[in-house]
Amino acid sequence: MALAGPIAVFANMLQFVGAFVSFSIAYVSLRGLRETESPTLLRLATAFVFLAFGFVVQGLVGLGTEAIIPGIAAFATTMLISGLLLETTGYFFLAFSHVMDVAMSKKMGLALMVFPIVTVSGVQVSDILRFLSFYFIMYGVVETLYSYGKTHRPDTLIIAAGMVLIALGGLVEWLSILESTLIALPLVQILMKEIGLLILFIPVLKFTFGRKEMWDDAI
Amino acid sequence: MTQYRTQVKIIADVLCTARDMNTEGNGVGITTLLRKGNLSYSRMSKLVSELVGSGLLEELRAEKVARYKISPKGIQFLFAYSHFEEFTQSFGLRL
Repeated sequence: MALAGPIAVFANMLQFVGAFVSFSIAYVSLRGLRETESPTLLRLATAFVFLAFGFVVQGLVGLGTEAIIPGIAAFATTMLISGLLLETTGYFFLAFSHVMDVAMSKKMGLALMVFPIVTVSGVQVSDILRFLSFYFIMYGVVETLYSYGKTHRPDTLIIAAGMVLIALGGLVEWLSILESTLIALPLVQILMKEIGLLILFIPVLKFTFGRKEMWDDAI
Repeated sequence: MTQYRTQVKIIADVLCTARDMNTEGNGVGITTLLRKGNLSYSRMSKLVSELVGSGLLEELRAEKVARYKISPKGIQFLFAYSHFEEFTQSFGLRL
């Protein structure tokens, strides 16, 4: 990452905001799993637990590189790959939830699960993981938009918009690697990703307040 | 195109029938559940005994005929179902 100083610290702190949002979604999903035993919520919870830990690890690596947390800089590469692997696994489970939904509902879907063939020679592991994350999130976007086409729920469209922002953040991240002279790109990338994640937080807020209102009405 | 229902959706449908069709307060028969639930007899019998076992349905026996009504736990399940259904639909998924 080309960022340095306070901007880098700010960018890395944003990773913890992402972790908080992801843990919140995972928490609501786990509560739902306990109450309904729905496998969909299990997959959703798994996805966001992985994402949350991925963001935490990447945030720690960033702060370690800035010498804010000592002792991490020595393992920065290993930890960064671990963080990216966790994040990619999270996006995989998000895409997998849609795959299972397609399989269960017997709908045609816009299954993009024909895996693209890429030449990996000379490409770093972290780049492959970033590519996979992008691929899984795009699959999620397509399926979410397809679902919106059927249900016309505004919430679904908002979530799709959030996922598009996360995917675009991934694209900007690639661009920042290619164009290392543009130092603002890494910050733009993290901001896009975090705004995307905050948009995903909307159902959690609606769930929390909506449930309280309905419960008040019920009693 | 045919759309399969998830197991959770089937349970919610059965519980809804038991709640909505119980107008006289003496429960609903298995025939009503079958008609509204769109399941085979064997599958419905198995499901109903599982729901009774887990406390979501209450079995009322009158003159050797079993009738079923939704329990308070079942009502709580439907409440949770409607909320989490909305939550998962936001992500473009089905509960």
